[in-house]
Amino acid sequence: MTRARIAALPASFALLTLTLASPATTEAQTPKSGGVLNMMLREDLAQGFAIHETATISTVWPAMPCFNNLVLFDPLKKTESVDTVVGELAEKWSWQDNFRNLVFFLRKGVKWHDGQPFTAKDVKFTFDMLREAADAPAKLRINPRKDWYANVEAIEAPDPSTVVFRLKKPQPSLLLMLASGYTPVYAAHVPPASYRTGCVGTGPFKLKEWRKGEFVELVRNPDYFVKGRPYLEGLKYFPIVERGTRQAALQAGKLDVSFPGETTKTAAEQLKAAVPQLVVTPYNQNVSDNIIMNVKKPPFDNPKVRLAVSHAIDRRALVRAVHQGGAVVGGSLAPKPWGFWGLAEKDLLGLPGYATNPADEKARARRLMAEAGYSPEKPLRVEIVTRAIAVYVDMASFVINELKQIGIDASLKQIETAQWHAMATRGDYQIGANLTGIGPDDPDANFYENYACGSPRNYSQYCSEEVMKMIDAQSQELDPKRRLAMVYAIQRRLEADAARPILDWKLDYFTVWPHVKNLIPHQSIYNFGRMQDVWTDK
Amino acid sequence: MKTYLAQRLTIAVLTLLGMSMVIFALLRLVPGDIVDILFSTAGYVSPSEKQAIMKELGIDRPYWVQYLDWLRQIGTGDLGKSYRYDVPAWQIVRPLLPVTLELAALSMVFAVLFGVPTGVVSAVRQDSTLDYVLRVFSLAGLSMPAFWLGMVIILGLVTWFRWIPPLTYVSPMEDLKLHAVQFLLPALAVGYRSSALIMRITRSSLLEVLREDYIRTARAKGQSGRVVVWRHALKNAMLPVVTVIGIEFAFLIGGLVVTETVFNLPGVARFLVQAILWRDYPIVQNLVMFIAIVVILSNLLVDMLYGVLDPRVRYGG
Repeated sequence: MTRARIAALPASFALLTLTLASPATTEAQTPKSGGVLNMMLREDLAQGFAIHETATISTVWPAMPCFNNLVLFDPLKKTESVDTVVGELAEKWSWQDNFRNLVFFLRKGVKWHDGQPFTAKDVKFTFDMLREAADAPAKLRINPRKDWYANVEAIEAPDPSTVVFRLKKPQPSLLLMLASGYTPVYAAHVPPASYRTGCVGTGPFKLKEWRKGEFVELVRNPDYFVKGRPYLEGLKYFPIVERGTRQAALQAGKLDVSFPGETTKTAAEQLKAAVPQLVVTPYNQNVSDNIIMNVKKPPFDNPKVRLAVSHAIDRRALVRAVHQGGAVVGGSLAPKPWGFWGLAEKDLLGLPGYATNPADEKARARRLMAEAGYSPEKPLRVEIVTRAIAVYVDMASFVINELKQIGIDASLKQIETAQWHAMATRGDYQIGANLTGIGPDDPDANFYENYACGSPRNYSQYCSEEVMKMIDAQSQELDPKRRLAMVYAIQRRLEADAARPILDWKLDYFTVWPHVKNLIPHQSIYNFGRMQDVWTDK
Repeated sequence: MKTYLAQRLTIAVLTLLGMSMVIFALLRLVPGDIVDILFSTAGYVSPSEKQAIMKELGIDRPYWVQYLDWLRQIGTGDLGKSYRYDVPAWQIVRPLLPVTLELAALSMVFAVLFGVPTGVVSAVRQDSTLDYVLRVFSLAGLSMPAFWLGMVIILGLVTWFRWIPPLTYVSPMEDLKLHAVQFLLPALAVGYRSSALIMRITRSSLLEVLREDYIRTARAKGQSGRVVVWRHALKNAMLPVVTVIGIEFAFLIGGLVVTETVFNLPGVARFLVQAILWRDYPIVQNLVMFIAIVVILSNLLVDMLYGVLDPRVRYGG
């Protein structure tokens, strides 16, 4: 362990101690009804409440309270796994035919916010639309998570309170994807486009007003199907673009809660120093810093060059220098205790870029570059692209410095947000510094989205038949222990192939005032915004 | 006078037409469009889906068709639909206008109330300690960006009083006191810079006038120093000051971006930046046209004021 890491330990320990001692976790207190929670947004809602048409927390966080899923990760538990999935619109569910059929038994008497009854027809409508079934009655204009449902063969609604998902092959993970904040059920009687401007859900809160650029106000749904919930009378979200103003508003008590994924370790320490009673909880954002290398274009079509890049980047130094300790190293899934499926630090040691001695890694990288035909006299000159946002640029600058040490002369090219995804999807780049957020902490959601052949979000265009077979195999594996071992093997393979070298997993330091109860961050920023059980002791 | 006004208004219309072409072209020259942004929130791009959305929004049509369509819409009072919010642009723009106009006006009131008297004092007491203090103070105002001062105000308030201004717009009907506080702080931050400029212009202009023969004559006739300065000198020294005030006000309408952002005020300038980032053409085009109208009108007003301040100014046909 390096000196800097040892030095960072007391601060981390203190922070964790404060968290554990915090009143926010005193679940034994009797919840009180009433009150309004004031929360921040970093920008106005990207596409209204149309969760299915976006992949950003800016939409999911304020829209989640309006909706329900079939199932959801238990909002009161930090860990997300199959054991923490609870029913929402589904009262019960059952895997049948060796995990090929997933049957949901729906709650009766649930109403949409406009008074219409909720039935199995709504579920079929939503998921046929998401998987773009041939006979789907509606189509989303943008459908970022279509790949999640690639294995769904048919959805049947034999009666108003039963829905059957028929799968092409067993896929236990499907339940976890259905439990994500990204998977609400839409109303069949409402056009999907209307969610861009309003929200008709079944959720604990109803939309009262969305004053564009100013605030979003939701009020308690008096007809909510869980008796006695929600506890709060309302929620108010304020878009505040300036980070300093957001922090000042939280510090002044104008806001009760920070925005998921927005509070760095340094910011949390400053807040805590200014207002000691604030409760700070570090947790995994489920967002990784990673390197995308276009395997279809020279020089990164050469595996040796890709590997050299991966060996060159000292992940631990990146965590210290760029994130001030507010991130952890890991493979393509977040490591324990921040995630469930990721390789532990000891398992990473033999993989490119993870050795404890960075000098050895750099020497290895230089040897690989020499084998690929590059030398100090004939250096590799590349343009490293990144999104023109500070968190991307900071990381990219660090990477450029690391690459220089192995003879790669990289220059930085910042791409505006409007161009970034188009460029990455087209593969119109050589190498890039990228951030990737994953909805649920689940191998299927991650592997199929980011590493599967032909996936639009597989920006590196890495495609290995063998790896695809491994991904399919783990997806169908019913034994949890064996599946975990298979997932470890895939992660090792991906890192060994430098498919998309993962540099670190970012932590968020979720900050709330002590009167906010039952708002518990999970292993992913996308899944704990329902607010059904949150209450205030103000 | 009428001919002059007619001439100016004709020029104004032509200027606006030119502006409309420039803003329309510039927006299309910037890489990316609303559809790219929509896909960026989804993390991928599908060319076929992109084409469908472009068609839905009408941005797949030739540029000249889009331009003429926009002009036709303006002509009929229809500002089009916001691409981002899918609601009429006017519905979004309307509540923003009073916020920015009020902030700009308050800032200018503060700037004038502070800048003109201090400029006069500084000129009258030229090279005194007070003059130096005021000049340093004004130099500081010119050197400090308004957003930085705004942030310092916010941080000072939160550190010492654990309080910051409201996060949403408070209407004067709702709570006059809170409304005043909400606008006074950013107006101070912005007005300080403008007041510094006004103070320096007032000082230099007044110093020049105070050296004129007619001032010496007025003094020789036994008029008091106060009357000479405030009645005779200042009126003639005001021409460049009025020009600066006009320019500053016009600049403020579009230049309040950062101050509105720091104080989280839902005004035109902050929204304009967001609309540009989203390539929300109808919003951007119409807001820029609004700013252009304000600039043209304030210039016209300044020109008309010249005649009031200086009877020698005649408006020719």
